[in-house]
Amino acid sequence: MRPEPVLAISGLVVHHGGVRALESIDITANSGEIVVLLGANGAGKSTLIETIIGLNVPRSGSIRFHGEEISGMAPDTIVRRGVAVVPEGRGVFSSMTVRDNLLLGAVPGDERSHRLASILRRFPVLSERSSQLAGTLSGGEARILVVARALMSNPGLILLDEPSIGLAPQILRSLFDLVVSLAEEGFTILMAEQNAYQALRIAHRGYVLERGRVVHRGSAADLRDDPRIAEAYLGASR
Amino acid sequence: MSLSLYYFVNLTAVHILMTWSLYLPYRLRRLHFMVIANMGIAAYAAGYLTTVAGWPFGTILPLGALLGATTALLIVPVTADAPPFTVAIVGLTLISLTTLLIENSEIFGGTLGLFGIPSIHRDPSAGRLLLLAVTWLCGLAVAAGIAVFERSRWGIAASIAFVDRDLAESNAVNVRQLSFFVQLAGSTIAGIAGVLYAFTMRGLFPGFFSFRYLGVLMTILFVGGYTTPWGPFLVAPLVWGIPLLLPEGLQSWRIVLYAVALIAVLMLRPEGLVTRDLLRRITALLRRPQKSP
Amino acid sequence: MTTLIAQLVNGVSLGSVYILLVTGFNLVLLVARVVHISYPHTVVLSMYAAWYGMSLADNSITAGVLAAVFTGILVNAVMAPIFARFSHRGVQADINSTMVVSLAIGLAIVELLSHGFNNGFPVSFSGFFRAGGTTFGTDVLHLSVAHLLALILSVGLTASLFFLLYRSAWGRRARAVAEDALGAAIAGVPVALTQRYSFLIGGTLAGVSAIILAALLGFASSTLADLVAIKALAVSIIAGLGHLVGGIAIALALGILEALAQGYLGGTWANAVALVVLLVVLLLRPKGLFGSRL
Repeated sequence: MRPEPVLAISGLVVHHGGVRALESIDITANSGEIVVLLGANGAGKSTLIETIIGLNVPRSGSIRFHGEEISGMAPDTIVRRGVAVVPEGRGVFSSMTVRDNLLLGAVPGDERSHRLASILRRFPVLSERSSQLAGTLSGGEARILVVARALMSNPGLILLDEPSIGLAPQILRSLFDLVVSLAEEGFTILMAEQNAYQALRIAHRGYVLERGRVVHRGSAADLRDDPRIAEAYLGASR
Repeated sequence: MSLSLYYFVNLTAVHILMTWSLYLPYRLRRLHFMVIANMGIAAYAAGYLTTVAGWPFGTILPLGALLGATTALLIVPVTADAPPFTVAIVGLTLISLTTLLIENSEIFGGTLGLFGIPSIHRDPSAGRLLLLAVTWLCGLAVAAGIAVFERSRWGIAASIAFVDRDLAESNAVNVRQLSFFVQLAGSTIAGIAGVLYAFTMRGLFPGFFSFRYLGVLMTILFVGGYTTPWGPFLVAPLVWGIPLLLPEGLQSWRIVLYAVALIAVLMLRPEGLVTRDLLRRITALLRRPQKSP
Repeated sequence: MTTLIAQLVNGVSLGSVYILLVTGFNLVLLVARVVHISYPHTVVLSMYAAWYGMSLADNSITAGVLAAVFTGILVNAVMAPIFARFSHRGVQADINSTMVVSLAIGLAIVELLSHGFNNGFPVSFSGFFRAGGTTFGTDVLHLSVAHLLALILSVGLTASLFFLLYRSAWGRRARAVAEDALGAAIAGVPVALTQRYSFLIGGTLAGVSAIILAALLGFASSTLADLVAIKALAVSIIAGLGHLVGGIAIALALGILEALAQGYLGGTWANAVALVVLLVVLLLRPKGLFGSRL
């Protein structure tokens, strides 16, 4: 019997500012998978990520995380359930130290110091800068910090919203290598990404969104080989 | 006309004017509380000039407007572009300062008040009717001015700036200039209202021009609806009149009732009772062609 | 010289109260994103509660203190869900709405004080709160119990608040919410709960401020609420909305200015001088001297 998906979204409809931002979205993500959401600006990728994390309340449909319905829950409740998000942009609290940023991750009190030590061992660059203000970090270091903060809660699902924005190619490659290693460790990753070429290079499966609807779906290889996808999303990024 | 009806009708007009003086700056999200101070200054100036210097009402009324505008010109160049909270606190500070200065000035009667403001006509009864006419004419003039503003490019720009200031500025709207104009207009209207109030009541207490009166005006503005001048116009008689019908024991608690109404409306119907959408629907209903029999 | 030193002492004591007022106001502003105009009114309401508690308990100071602090916390706890209606999941929706709502609450409080206590007359404090007296004195320096109380409580509470903000888990969450409420929510911070705690802490500061004011002034009145409110709010803006350290500096400066004006000009004109200075500074630097955190 197939194991239950970590994330199962069905029939999701979201209205945003009086507009139907998402229409009949059906998406799944299984344990250890990297699932990518592709699409142009305004396709609905970020809206979907924001809805999963609880920033938008869906008009209808369901979002199930390990079988539990999470749509309508407050964001912090969803995070405590095991869903973590790496938001678009810097995402760090600039006026707080790296250490304080990490400790914000949803961790029970008694595990906090142990988890922090483990994360700092994994990310030496953060360990070196733990007393520095997060606002002084470079773009790449800030992105690592946000990923590390997400990992503090030992999440079952990690959402990445446009992780490539503002990053130099070399830093982006390191970040995507990190994403691959996380998936190999068993984390489930759902990544919204405009850089379709890089995203399909590391993903297992993908969904293509257009005007709030899923228009294509399949394995990463199938999407790469699909001439319609190649023309629309891969031509300029090769 | 009975005295109580006269006071009710005339004071309602004054309150509508004062609420419009708040309404205009709030089109750009600025709570220009200074208008209470403008009203107080104009009222006391009117009271002093007519009781001591014998100036006639006809001269004092435009002077009230001028006074409102002049005092505003000292403040509005800064508050036109200031953050909303600063504008509000400057206004509250001016209200406190004005009240404090009046209370400690013998020439204005101090805390006891200024009395003996004469009727605008030899015959007090004719004077009341004349003042009623002048007050409502002023109201009509201000209403016409607001209507012209709302239909103008500036009125449309104000609606855009209310939602998104950056969007307005990127459409070549000088928001600072617009804000300056509406705050100045608000203060000028308040100056007129102050003079009309002085001659209506024919006696002044410094305690009237206070946060309490601000509470009354805020209730009219927000309960009536801050997106259209019709809201204050329709709701002012109710907000002012309903507490007058209450038992005497409850009347002294009317500010608490206003506060509760204000909070309730902001929570349940934030744009107020009369909204632009409602007006649009009523207009559409009235324009619907009649079916022939 | 004696007058100068005496007024400086008074000024520092008065400034201490303003520090607590502004700090409590700024805390709620930063964390809950609410412009709590009625916060100073809560302080004066707590003063009345202290008077009432003492009058019921045979002038017991403990009863007065407990009544004041309890009232400060309770009133803020009641206000918190009202303000929460104006934000979506803790992220600020409309600053003007919170201003208008808190203004309405402030008006209601003043009206309550005008009619509901002591037939509308000001209330005076007796016993300990009127101790006056000299704790220690030289030819030039006299310190009363009230002065010492103001200094010790103000310094102690402000230091405790900063400790809480920079050394505790709640403080970490509060600083995150203050910087970016949306980002804090998706990082797993319970934003609404964090904000509610800021109201409770603010309420505690309000209650203690009430005790100090009662000791310094010896009376409370409904008109005191509006006057204290204007000064506390103006100090917040002059320092820069949400600037905790700036607020402390300006609050102290205002207290000293007011006391000096009181000593050399007399009561009413002292208030007028303070208001004029506040107005001028507001107009010269409408966004604050140290920059707004809003």
